[in-house]
Amino acid sequence: MTQSNAAIYELSTPLTMVVGSYGSGKTEISVNLAVATRMRGCRVSVADLDIVNPYFRCREAQVLMREHGVRVVIPPGAQQFADLPIVVPEIKGMLEPQEGVFSIFDVGGDEVGARLLSSFSEPLKGRPYRLLQVINSRRPFTSTLEGCIRMKEGLEESSRLKVGGFIVNSHLITDTTIEVVLEGFELAQKLSEETGVPIEFVTAMGELAQAPELAALPAPILPLRRVMLPPWLKDEPKDDSSDEKSNRMPAGRVKPLFVP
Amino acid sequence: MAKVLMKGNEAIGEAAIRAGCIHFFGYPITPQSEVPEYLAKRLPEVGGVFVQAESEVAASNMIYGAAGVGMRVLTTSSSPGISLMAEGVSYLAGAELPVVIVNIMRGGPGLGGILPSQGDYLQATKGMAHGDFDLIVLAPSSVQEAVDLTIRAFQLAEKYRNPVMVVGDGMIGQMMEPVDFPEVEVGPPLAADDWALTGCEGRSPRDVNSLFLDANDLHNHNVKLKDKFAVITENEQEWELYSCEGEYDVLVTSFGMMARICKTAIDVLAEEGIKVGLFRPITIKPYPYDACREAAQKAKRLLCVEMNMGQMIQDVQLATRGAKEIDFFGKAGGVIPSVEDVIQSVRETLAKTGK
Amino acid sequence: MKKIFAYTDGLTRLPTHYCPGCTHGVIHRVVGEVIDELGIRGTTVGVAPVGCAVLAYKYFNCDMFEASHGRAPAVATGAKRCRPEMSVFTYQGDGDLASIGMAEIVHAANRGEKFTVIFVNNAIYGMTGGQMAPTTMPNQRSTTTPFGRDVNLAGYPIRVAEMLSTLTTPAYVSRVSSHTAEQTVRAKEVIKKAFQYQIAGTCFTFVEVLSTCPTNWGLSPRESNKWLEKEMLPYYPLGDIKRPEDFEGGQHAGN
Ligand SMILES: Cc1ncc(C[n+]2csc(CCOP(=O)(O)OP(=O)(O)O)c2C)c(N)n1
Ligand code: SF4
Repeated sequence: MTQSNAAIYELSTPLTMVVGSYGSGKTEISVNLAVATRMRGCRVSVADLDIVNPYFRCREAQVLMREHGVRVVIPPGAQQFADLPIVVPEIKGMLEPQEGVFSIFDVGGDEVGARLLSSFSEPLKGRPYRLLQVINSRRPFTSTLEGCIRMKEGLEESSRLKVGGFIVNSHLITDTTIEVVLEGFELAQKLSEETGVPIEFVTAMGELAQAPELAALPAPILPLRRVMLPPWLKDEPKDDSSDEKSNRMPAGRVKPLFVP
Repeated sequence: MAKVLMKGNEAIGEAAIRAGCIHFFGYPITPQSEVPEYLAKRLPEVGGVFVQAESEVAASNMIYGAAGVGMRVLTTSSSPGISLMAEGVSYLAGAELPVVIVNIMRGGPGLGGILPSQGDYLQATKGMAHGDFDLIVLAPSSVQEAVDLTIRAFQLAEKYRNPVMVVGDGMIGQMMEPVDFPEVEVGPPLAADDWALTGCEGRSPRDVNSLFLDANDLHNHNVKLKDKFAVITENEQEWELYSCEGEYDVLVTSFGMMARICKTAIDVLAEEGIKVGLFRPITIKPYPYDACREAAQKAKRLLCVEMNMGQMIQDVQLATRGAKEIDFFGKAGGVIPSVEDVIQSVRETLAKTGK
Repeated sequence: MKKIFAYTDGLTRLPTHYCPGCTHGVIHRVVGEVIDELGIRGTTVGVAPVGCAVLAYKYFNCDMFEASHGRAPAVATGAKRCRPEMSVFTYQGDGDLASIGMAEIVHAANRGEKFTVIFVNNAIYGMTGGQMAPTTMPNQRSTTTPFGRDVNLAGYPIRVAEMLSTLTTPAYVSRVSSHTAEQTVRAKEVIKKAFQYQIAGTCFTFVEVLSTCPTNWGLSPRESNKWLEKEMLPYYPLGDIKRPEDFEGGQHAGN
């Protein structure tokens, strides 16, 4: 695949936690990051810690991730479709850094979703982790500098952890243009100046990853392939052969990921 | 305004504000909780009122109080909560109060599940609560349409002094799509001056009431409500025809989000040279019977697709008056029929036409 | 000549439908007088219940709602939150408020909704023909407790005023009675105070008024007043139970 000469983002910290407002794109990022890291030959575990959203969680992409060799940590069986805040015990083990293993936590939206992390703040003391806040300037409460700062403070207060980097993920799903991405980057830059927290990477969906404007940005890029598809978007017929229950993707379908 | 990316539930909350509604009373339930959560943040910014009610029973009566004093007001819930609102809705309809109620439907019966469903079609359109009354019921099939129809719901509610319900399956509430908020000109609630309880200073006292002790009076009130709905039926039907130009052997009927899946199926079949039409009611009440019948005329056979066990099909039967065979395909409980499922069902229906 | 009776502007001139000797009428009268004397008739909205007072919207000479059974506090919440400048009151019986509407009254009180509740406790369901109410006295006969209220099966009468006063939210909660002229005068003072608290935006205000139901008690009006005094007063003591003045920074002095 042709790429612009932008630097591609690579995970370097054993534990990455993706937080941000509802719908900022945490799940797409977590799944793409996991698969990309796996394709580099590293071992990757993804935990779906979204206990506030009932649908469109990364557990719906579990088959896809497993096919790529990513370990997926979610509540067992039908519990994953329950309206219950279930945190499985394996999560605790993921807090412990392991040689050559990367862990990604896909956390629920807003400070409400991040609250769950506060119980890890004690065990995480002194351990390497990165709490990354996703910025989408086209989301209602994070379209301004003040809104993003308020979100950051809310996330930090409820998680009792510190945001260590921003992910620029400004998008309008299918309506995203390079202007939207650049507008998000500009917002994140101001945010970075204001808070002293660096920009970790910029995402770009599909074709946008090749835009020359991105190569000029002083931040690495994470190219994204859209994973969470609504049920009316047609693609290759889904494979119903494996475990029937876990393959049931009631709200949203998952498109096989074309790995960069 | 630039496009923003919003969850259906948030967009409905914002649409209400754009329509001039800054009063919300409701109770949390998945998958609609983002509406109260969004409004709890937004309404203080615009000087509005947000109350988390103790139950949906209370919420439906709080909006009775709010609308009764002449305010635009919204409540939202999901299936089990809507059942609890039945009491309030009947009183609201009886007292002719303009309110907007949103049902982000989940699978039932009972506690059911939290995943998307269209299982409350008959409840919304036929049997919401006791007594003779008619709601206006709108069924969006995208987040943008949820915005537009929420705004429209307030306008219709006030135009006719009638409760209006917007129904979307859980997916409409949960999915994210880019939306545009249209500029809406908002004035004070329409005509509330003539009937709202604003204090009787300088006029004689009024009441907001659904009690008529005299049977003849109550009969006349029922007739009045029926006549009003006849006018609504005359003026307010909305529907969409998709791929209905030219000839087709099969007409698919579907509403809400399900219709969107059907459209993709129809596109795929069109690539194969199989022409299929789609009739999608936007007002599921008043149901566009005539438009449905007309669209059905060209078809040899109909296929009704729903995310339930067959509810709207009753209206399609009424529309076609037994003139056409109607097949049904649906899944319930949160299982969403896929594009392939719909294609398969269309093929089966097509086979029955002898093609 | 001394005027001993005059109409109050707080009530319409319609004759009420209440049974002879029923104290609903006199309670209407004092509420009407308070509304009139405070000069708030033009800015008041009342909420009628389902119960014998279902037609109260015809009798109070101000804007009125007719609510569904038990939900008057929810309706009043909607009205008062949207028009805080207006005075809002509910008028509810004991079946309406303490049985089917228990959730609504508790939560309105707990949210500290700034309206006034007139709670008419006659220890019975009047409208539907004398069934047991949550406030029916132990061993009291009703059509659904033909052998008297069995506290082992139906529990003890609920003291709603005391129960609401256990909430931390500041409130004015008082109990008065309507069975004698003096008590009625006192009831009026308390109801007036409740409305004054409301107008000042102080707190939720709740006045329980002990009342009679000669028809369903099967007693004459005079006997009814006696019965109230003998059977109800000892169980439902009169007086202020909670006052906003007692509230000090998040804690109730008395509780
Ligand atoms: C939902 C509902 N259930 C039952 C009734 C029947 N009902 C009307 S009034 C009433 C009890 C009224 O008693 P109370 O509140 O004590 O008032 P009173 O008549 O004694 O003044 C009942 C059970 C109703 N109207 N609505
Ligand atoms: S039934 Fe009882 S409460 Fe009702 S009006 Fe008659 S005496 Fe009064």
